[in-house]
Amino acid sequence: MSGSDKYQHVYVVIEHEDGKLVPVSLEMLGEARRLMDGFNKKYSADERVVAVVLGHDVRKLCEELIFYGADAVIYADSPVLRYTRNLVDTKVISKIAASKELASKFASDASIFVKPRYMFFAADSIGRHLSSTVLAELESGLASDINKLVIEDLVIKHEHKTKGQPMMYEKTLEMYRPDFSGFLWTTILCLDNRNPAIAREYHPQACSIIPGVFTPIERDETRRGAIVDYAPTFDECELKVKILDRKIVKSAVDFDSHKVVVSFGRGIKDAPEQNIKLVAELAKQLEAEVGVSLPISKKPFPISEGISSTYMIPDRVIGTSGRKVAPLLYVAVGISGAMQHIAGMKESGFVVVVNPDDESPIKDECDIFIKGRMEDVIPLLLEELRKQKPAIEVRK
Amino acid sequence: MGANLNVAVIVKLEPDFSEGNVSYNADGTLNRAETKSILGPHSAIASSAAFYAKVRYDARIMVGTMGPPIADSALAQAQLLCDADELHLYSDRIFAGADTLATAEVLKTGVLKAEGGKMDIVFSGHRASDGETGQTGPQTAWKLGFTFLGNVIDYDVDIENRVVRAKRLISLQAFYDVIEEVEAPLPVFIAIDPSYKASFNTVSQRLTFDKYREEAKTRSQNYKQYLKVFNAQQLGVDPKLVGLPGSPTIVYKVEKIPKAKASRKAEVVDGSSREQLRKVAAKMYEVLGGIVIK
Repeated sequence: MSGSDKYQHVYVVIEHEDGKLVPVSLEMLGEARRLMDGFNKKYSADERVVAVVLGHDVRKLCEELIFYGADAVIYADSPVLRYTRNLVDTKVISKIAASKELASKFASDASIFVKPRYMFFAADSIGRHLSSTVLAELESGLASDINKLVIEDLVIKHEHKTKGQPMMYEKTLEMYRPDFSGFLWTTILCLDNRNPAIAREYHPQACSIIPGVFTPIERDETRRGAIVDYAPTFDECELKVKILDRKIVKSAVDFDSHKVVVSFGRGIKDAPEQNIKLVAELAKQLEAEVGVSLPISKKPFPISEGISSTYMIPDRVIGTSGRKVAPLLYVAVGISGAMQHIAGMKESGFVVVVNPDDESPIKDECDIFIKGRMEDVIPLLLEELRKQKPAIEVRK
Repeated sequence: MGANLNVAVIVKLEPDFSEGNVSYNADGTLNRAETKSILGPHSAIASSAAFYAKVRYDARIMVGTMGPPIADSALAQAQLLCDADELHLYSDRIFAGADTLATAEVLKTGVLKAEGGKMDIVFSGHRASDGETGQTGPQTAWKLGFTFLGNVIDYDVDIENRVVRAKRLISLQAFYDVIEEVEAPLPVFIAIDPSYKASFNTVSQRLTFDKYREEAKTRSQNYKQYLKVFNAQQLGVDPKLVGLPGSPTIVYKVEKIPKAKASRKAEVVDGSSREQLRKVAAKMYEVLGGIVIK
């Protein structure tokens, strides 16, 4: 079977910060490894997991990428590529993806190779844009913010793709993305147009993957693979964006150095302003950082500018669209528990929930479920916390 | 006389997620029929960024959107924010169901329709609140052949040398955020970061700001005078590259995300019982205190 297809392998675009791997890179490799192991078994194939890494002084990363699941690494090393720049990176990655010569360095028969079958990027501030421009250049389809992947043979009947006829699409990548509500899963497919009137092939089937969703495979120093050096050449016009300065900044929101996180969600709606103040008071008492659920970052309530710009911001979002936290104590107030929020807090030590609805999904994710409206519960709880605090400190 | 700077903004009509306007089904999903539509919040920020170019550089502004006829309300709302000189609506049944690549094809063609194709800066929002892919902007940029600058929190234009200087905010998972200052020759495509805020520092800038703000109000009330509607034929797009036929991707299925197995067994506490909340408070301190001793 190997080498019998124009489209082969999965190419994973690796991200790193000046030579240090960003965790999602290894997560993508792990998932690619699991998928392709299944693929090769099912189809008696020998298709590869190929890591693609650009940068300056990145040769040293290649073995590491193999230890974490890559069969081959294509690296482009140049001082010009030290920091990611969309234009030049897009050109280099697109050239790598369409290179038969590079594919022949790690696969025995690459004579008919045209492009990768699948391609993965990180759904973060770099990969989100890079995936968009690379797929615009390669003229194929892209699904964003994926948290589940399956490879299947599917019978598709589609007005345009198949002109209404049922047709078998083999080795199709089902790309699952949670929607903004966190309750719906949409499966995106990237399919060739087989309708003769609009016939066209769309490969690679590509997606960006949410950081923190997949698990890397265990590092294995005995793994071996091909390391392919790609020496890119640049057109002057590809280098016209100049990086003048680069400053590292710390977010004002700091989940990591707090033992407690207090989060709130749409349950504040009856009196948003007062309820946020209540939550903030509770957080202060517990010396906690304040988190929010995703809908809150869309500023669904009209409240004063100061409170809005302090609390209803993307930096505070906990979940797959924001940060993953694992404090000793997690307090969720007025949060129903969409899957994408749970993914961001499930590793917390102890979870206390305040919610009037004991049918809400978050009940299955907490240790203590306080049934009640936050307006009633928090003032009482605060009183008790204040009363007990001196005693607790004496006991220490 | 031509303007110093030609600017386009691409915007989107989106569900209004604000309380009172948004409606959810019992299962937590969006009830689209009952939810109102507005200019998307990120599109609004992109419009404000374009207005900065109007105040500072006397830019000429076109706002464009792809959508059904009612999407002209998004253009009117954007005009109020940026005092646009022209509003373009790309509207045709054959555009329906487009994925990001097919949408980008329409937007690219639309942008090139304005100002005889001589566009200097195109702005878009960070992402739409409903689709949330964030792909349409960069893909439009790529098709235009414009340099793409994403996550832009601040920018200025050196009109004489025809270059943009911009600050970009990049979040790196498990590391830190980086503010990167870049310089790029025009034309550029800027996807504006949600945290962007224009600032007008001099008295003369504020006066210009007020003048155009007033003009924007009048214009927006009469927005139809500024509106041009283009169908596929008028735009001159290839029907094979737009709408469903031009979309590499399809939505195969939509399903409820299955409930995960309960990972914890909750003790249910009556929130009106002081006695029970006393125990909860003690437990909270215990959870924290236990570790402090360690």
